[in-house]
Amino acid sequence: MSGAANPVMTIDPSEEDQDKLAEFESRIADGVLIEPGDWMPQAYRMGMLRMAEHHANSEIVGALPEGEWITRAPSLRRKLALTAKVQDEVGHGQMLYRVSQDLGKSREDMLRDLCTGKTKYHNCFNYPAPSWADIAMVQWLIDGAAIMNQKTLADGAYGPYVRTMHRINMEEAFHFKSGEDMVLTLMSGTKKQKAMTQEAFDRWWGPSVMFFGPHDKPNCENLPPMKWRMKTESNDSLRQRFVNRFAPAALDLGLVIHVCQKDEHGMVTSKTVDEQCRLDETTGNWGVTDPDWDEFFRVIRGNGPCNAHRVALRRFSYEQGAWVRRAIAGGATTLPPAA
Amino acid sequence: MTTMQNMLKNPDANLVLALADDLLMLGHVQGDWTGLGPILEEDIASSSMAQDDLSHALVLYEHLGAHFGIDADVIAYERDIADYRCCDLVTLPDEFDWAVAFVRRWVISHWAAPVLDRLTKSDDQDLAERCLRLRAEQSLHLTYLDDWMHRLGSGPDEGRTRIQTALDTIAEHAGMVMEVPDRDLADIEAFCCGREELFNEWTTAMNVVLEHAGFTMTFPLPALDAFGGRRGTHAPHFHEQHAEMTEVRCADPGATW
Ligand SMILES: [Fe+2]
Ligand SMILES: [Fe+2]
Repeated sequence: MSGAANPVMTIDPSEEDQDKLAEFESRIADGVLIEPGDWMPQAYRMGMLRMAEHHANSEIVGALPEGEWITRAPSLRRKLALTAKVQDEVGHGQMLYRVSQDLGKSREDMLRDLCTGKTKYHNCFNYPAPSWADIAMVQWLIDGAAIMNQKTLADGAYGPYVRTMHRINMEEAFHFKSGEDMVLTLMSGTKKQKAMTQEAFDRWWGPSVMFFGPHDKPNCENLPPMKWRMKTESNDSLRQRFVNRFAPAALDLGLVIHVCQKDEHGMVTSKTVDEQCRLDETTGNWGVTDPDWDEFFRVIRGNGPCNAHRVALRRFSYEQGAWVRRAIAGGATTLPPAA
Repeated sequence: MTTMQNMLKNPDANLVLALADDLLMLGHVQGDWTGLGPILEEDIASSSMAQDDLSHALVLYEHLGAHFGIDADVIAYERDIADYRCCDLVTLPDEFDWAVAFVRRWVISHWAAPVLDRLTKSDDQDLAERCLRLRAEQSLHLTYLDDWMHRLGSGPDEGRTRIQTALDTIAEHAGMVMEVPDRDLADIEAFCCGREELFNEWTTAMNVVLEHAGFTMTFPLPALDAFGGRRGTHAPHFHEQHAEMTEVRCADPGATW
């Protein structure tokens, strides 16, 4: 999977050394990569740390819903592929924690902040994956969305993050291919398999459209995250690209695109065909019903279907593994009491 | 007789199945740890070993499958519970105790190595070649796991105590790795060339590492007629693991996944 790093950022560069800031901004405008030892505005350092840490968190939390299906994978080849895929995500997390560490926060602190709920991870991992077809959808839609996002992040300005994106994206391409193959296999399968796949698609289409975050602020191109090339494309434009790519692909596979109502567990309670979802011949863009952004913010604030479960599992892993870290590294700290 | 029964009645096939099923179930139970390991780097290495074990099982099932005309996934997923030849140790629940999971894997890897050595000398050319490749990859596991055993042994008391406790737990079940998978095999002094010799080779290799790391583990070679998982009398937890493993596949029999 995973990670669009889309933490909502407000950055105030007014307190920086203005000469150095001007030089920094001109280097970025010239396409020079910023390296850890270079001067950078404090807000940039904090912003990149927050972004890389959020992305790293997303990778290792993203490993959880799929990890739960390794023991149920329906063939040896799928079992092997899924193990390898989840392993890749953990590897992405490891690489991104290293990028974050160089920006000034220890891995131990980052893992602790994640499992105490102090820091966040990508919203889409707070949704449930109750069937094998959900795993197919995660690899197809979420990894597909992640690639789109990460390709633009690979075009950013912070050297270590950019290089990590290039490495990660090669693996994400495999995840996407595997997801596509799984969806195709299921949709060419039995009646039961097709029904299961439509249900999973109904659960994941909404979170996928929301993947790129809410509508942009006006003038976003001139605000620090984009001006400093921490991100290089607006949320709205990425979302449109995703819909243009995946809406027709879903319809071709025989899936129906619905607008869904869900209960607090993330399960669909009612649905209607998304009438907006058709090609606009004049713009060449596919339409889509605007997602429920109240839901988006509700889930970000911790009240999604699986927030508690995912964080608890990370915490469980962190606590279970503490003695192993002490045994070989010595001196890792323990967690404060559960909130 | 069905093709499956042909395979299950064949003494040589049972020896291969014993190893393949151990590797399948080891890879399967270790699957619980992917994404939840104590250290990211260890998690990644653990998943690599699980993939090796699963793909080694697949390589062996494909060998049997070609011989008996059965699809490898059908062998892996669609046998009756009593026809799985894995021993009681591999499927021993670790209850998310990393020390138990680690020692379980270490013991099985040490067992797989001499068994593969014997199978590389098989008259069956295809089997011998496959096992030669598997042996090389299992050697990498052994190097990695032995290194961990040494590191844990030279670490603080807390970790040493946990590992020794896990060794004691595992020792109660480890002997059953030597369970003969088929009654008929008991007479032919099977396991390729002498059960006692294999047992000694296996336990000696483990004891060299344990001694160096400051741990101990002793258990006897079970009697020839001792029976458990390898002869199909599996512990209840194997039934649960098997149900989980086959849940999706069996929900829609005959479907392609
Ligand atoms: Fe991925
Ligand atoms: Fe990833």
